[in-house]
Amino acid sequence: MADLCDTILREVAGTVALKGRWAVVAQGSYARAEICPGSDLDVVLLHAGRGSAAATAARSFWYPFWDAGVVLGHAVRTPKEALALADEDLDAMTALLDLRFVAGDEGLADEVRSRGRALARKRRDRLIAALHEASSARYDRPGPLAEMLEPDVKEGAGGLRDVQALAWSGWAVADPGGWPGLVAVGALDPGDVAVLQAACDHLLDVRVALHRVTGGRSDQLAKQEQDAVAAVVGASDADALMRDLSHTARQVGWIGREAFDRLAGPARGRGGSDERDLDLGIGLRDGRVVLHADAAVTVSSTLRVAAAAAEASAPIDRATLARLGDVDGTVAWTTDDRAAFVRCLRAGRRLVAVFESLDHVGALVRLIPEWAHVRALPQRNAYHRFTVDRHLLETVVECDDLLDSESVDGDIARRARLDLLLLSAFLHDIGKGLPGDHSEVGAERAAALLQRLGLDDHGVGVVVWAVRNHLLIADTATRRDLADPETIVRFGRAVGDTERLDLLYALTIADSRATGPAAWGSGKALLCRQLFGEGDALLEDGVVGPRLAAERRAVLERHAGLLAAGELAVEWRTRDDGLFECTVAARDRRGLLANVAGVLTLTGFDIQGAAAYVDTDSGMALEVYRGVDRFGRLDDAGRRDFATMLRSALDGALPLRQRLRERIARYRNPDPGVDRSVSVHVDPDASASATVIEVMAPDEVGLLASVAAVFADLDVDVSVALVSTTGTRAVDVFYLRDAHGAKPTDPKLLQRIRATLVARLTTDYVLPAPG
Amino acid sequence: MKMVIGIIKPFKLDDVKEALKHVGIQGLTISDAQGFGRQRGHTEVYRGAEYTIDFVPKVRIEVLTEDGDVERIVNLIIETARTGKIGDGKVWVVPIDSVYRIRTGEAGPDAL
Repeated sequence: MADLCDTILREVAGTVALKGRWAVVAQGSYARAEICPGSDLDVVLLHAGRGSAAATAARSFWYPFWDAGVVLGHAVRTPKEALALADEDLDAMTALLDLRFVAGDEGLADEVRSRGRALARKRRDRLIAALHEASSARYDRPGPLAEMLEPDVKEGAGGLRDVQALAWSGWAVADPGGWPGLVAVGALDPGDVAVLQAACDHLLDVRVALHRVTGGRSDQLAKQEQDAVAAVVGASDADALMRDLSHTARQVGWIGREAFDRLAGPARGRGGSDERDLDLGIGLRDGRVVLHADAAVTVSSTLRVAAAAAEASAPIDRATLARLGDVDGTVAWTTDDRAAFVRCLRAGRRLVAVFESLDHVGALVRLIPEWAHVRALPQRNAYHRFTVDRHLLETVVECDDLLDSESVDGDIARRARLDLLLLSAFLHDIGKGLPGDHSEVGAERAAALLQRLGLDDHGVGVVVWAVRNHLLIADTATRRDLADPETIVRFGRAVGDTERLDLLYALTIADSRATGPAAWGSGKALLCRQLFGEGDALLEDGVVGPRLAAERRAVLERHAGLLAAGELAVEWRTRDDGLFECTVAARDRRGLLANVAGVLTLTGFDIQGAAAYVDTDSGMALEVYRGVDRFGRLDDAGRRDFATMLRSALDGALPLRQRLRERIARYRNPDPGVDRSVSVHVDPDASASATVIEVMAPDEVGLLASVAAVFADLDVDVSVALVSTTGTRAVDVFYLRDAHGAKPTDPKLLQRIRATLVARLTTDYVLPAPG
Repeated sequence: MKMVIGIIKPFKLDDVKEALKHVGIQGLTISDAQGFGRQRGHTEVYRGAEYTIDFVPKVRIEVLTEDGDVERIVNLIIETARTGKIGDGKVWVVPIDSVYRIRTGEAGPDAL
């Protein structure tokens, strides 16, 4: 391709009549004979004469390319203009370094090129700083080629641009420059040149294939093109293509960073004159972390070198790094080793460079063999940006950011145990790419790994649980109805305690942010936060819904008037949401809840929610019911009837159970599709003063009355009841105390309560005759 | 042609998607949305920290369709997304002038 263009330009040159010295030169990929199907063709007409004549002559060069539809980058410049531009503009400078003579006066082309290279050496520091900065910026945008799922082959960090940037830096320090120039000044090791050449060839092959496949000019290797590109370059499939590419880009990236570090760093000192100690056997020499020659390479020293490098934000010395590559990782870790590892993980963004260095020499896989499987592992998923290994590191970095943040989310993250949170982040996707559910497989792998790391049993339990459940919050928040108490109760049961909840919430935020912008919208953030809040209320106070203590106080205050009367009082109102609210105040006595709920049921009031509280000071109980007036009977007369019936039920004059039984039989929901499962959960630990019982059951007429009757029959008091109904299911939570006002803990009694509830709620909902 | 737009509770999205697929709807567009209706925002408190939630997270669904299918789609979304509680969302229908398929250039109902 480059040859063909050369021929065309030379043919045109034969016909051009231009006075004075002139030359047609190639720049950019054309100069390097690296033209891809979608490349621009950069051509410059250098001339020593008048601009207008040159401009006219230039057009005869450009026309054949314009006619052929080639995208041509063209310019007409005098040598002086070309050099002045190079002095101002990085791209113009690098173009000059690669300049190649095509036609005309070869001497002129050579002269401009050598003056350009001399200028590069004169501006050494500025040029290298600019190239280094541009190279670093490519890690943020478009991002690291090795770890992006849809990388930019040209501009991505570790891509073609980095390969070229190294060659250009070479010209800033030596002549001949390029990669050998960097070797000459000790910025590259001699072996690096062959690696860079192979990388350059590989990247070019992929870029050419990409342009062929897409027929376009984009250098982004989108997922939809990866199969076709793999076929063109002869990789077995898209995953193989991406792994190979990742390997190449990691080498380029690592060599590049190393070279720029050495170029930027102070001249290498002798005998450690400016060395300071960082840790036992570890020092900082010339800005690099060094493991002293007499210190052995062990798991301990390797981890401490890594932690020192991460915390000092300094690269690990290359000779030290080479030694670390031989570390024997099969030994069990000590407490200090784990602490050093956690220090690495807590170092934020700096940990990425350190782990990449360790990975480059194979030390990371020796320390953590489980890592081998996720290295450069692509993920076929529309949300993810990074390969699995980089995603895991990004998640750790996001955790660090969260731990440093002033927000409430930060407070929650800081409540979690630091080492467990960071280890969970580091390991949460460790099961990816293996057969089976990655959360399950990952939990097994994490368990084995953490045992080798010697983590305490409690810690292993928490981290393994977090790995297994790392999608629980995100999935529940986005796919379940958070207004449904059953969702919250199930979630709370799955989490178990606030330690796990705090950790999992922080992990969810970090994991989502590390995944990609599409995975953490503000909508999802709000839902996750809401779920966390609900779960937290459940696990802290043992209640579903609003915070218990505050709610209880507010309700009692609101009805202070009713309570002050000291006798039975009933109040009705219509709520904002259209439901009826019936508030009953009465002297507290056994069976009060069962009686009120039962009489309400008889009057056709469908209970959708209820809360009952006892005011221990006055000995009064307050019960608030919300629901629907099913038969429209609750007008003024109906309300008076209710009060009369309630009095007679409390006096024992009304055969309440008999009438309820008839009613339940009559109005039972006959729909066979209704979920009739009943579950009763007894939790003696949820509250300090009472035993908490949760009942989840189909919402049937008289359900609350039936449950309350069980408590009355078994001689337990209900100090708080929270009832809520969604669709066809009800979730009822009761705080129980025994006859002496103490918390019932006798396992036999609790077992009896549970069994009685299950028995009555599953045997056709018929209450037994009063005993 | 019409565009049916629905604002629904996020957790109902899978159900609605499945229901629409089941009746042969070929494609739909979704986006995260936030807003308030009668549900309003609310304040939540946990462990001392107070959050004000001004806007409630929802999902917005858009379906392009021929006029004859509008009623069926609207009813399906309403039935599937309903929980009977406040905040279930809304569905509305707007007329569409023209539709083009980018890949082939097809226009009108062919592009649906």
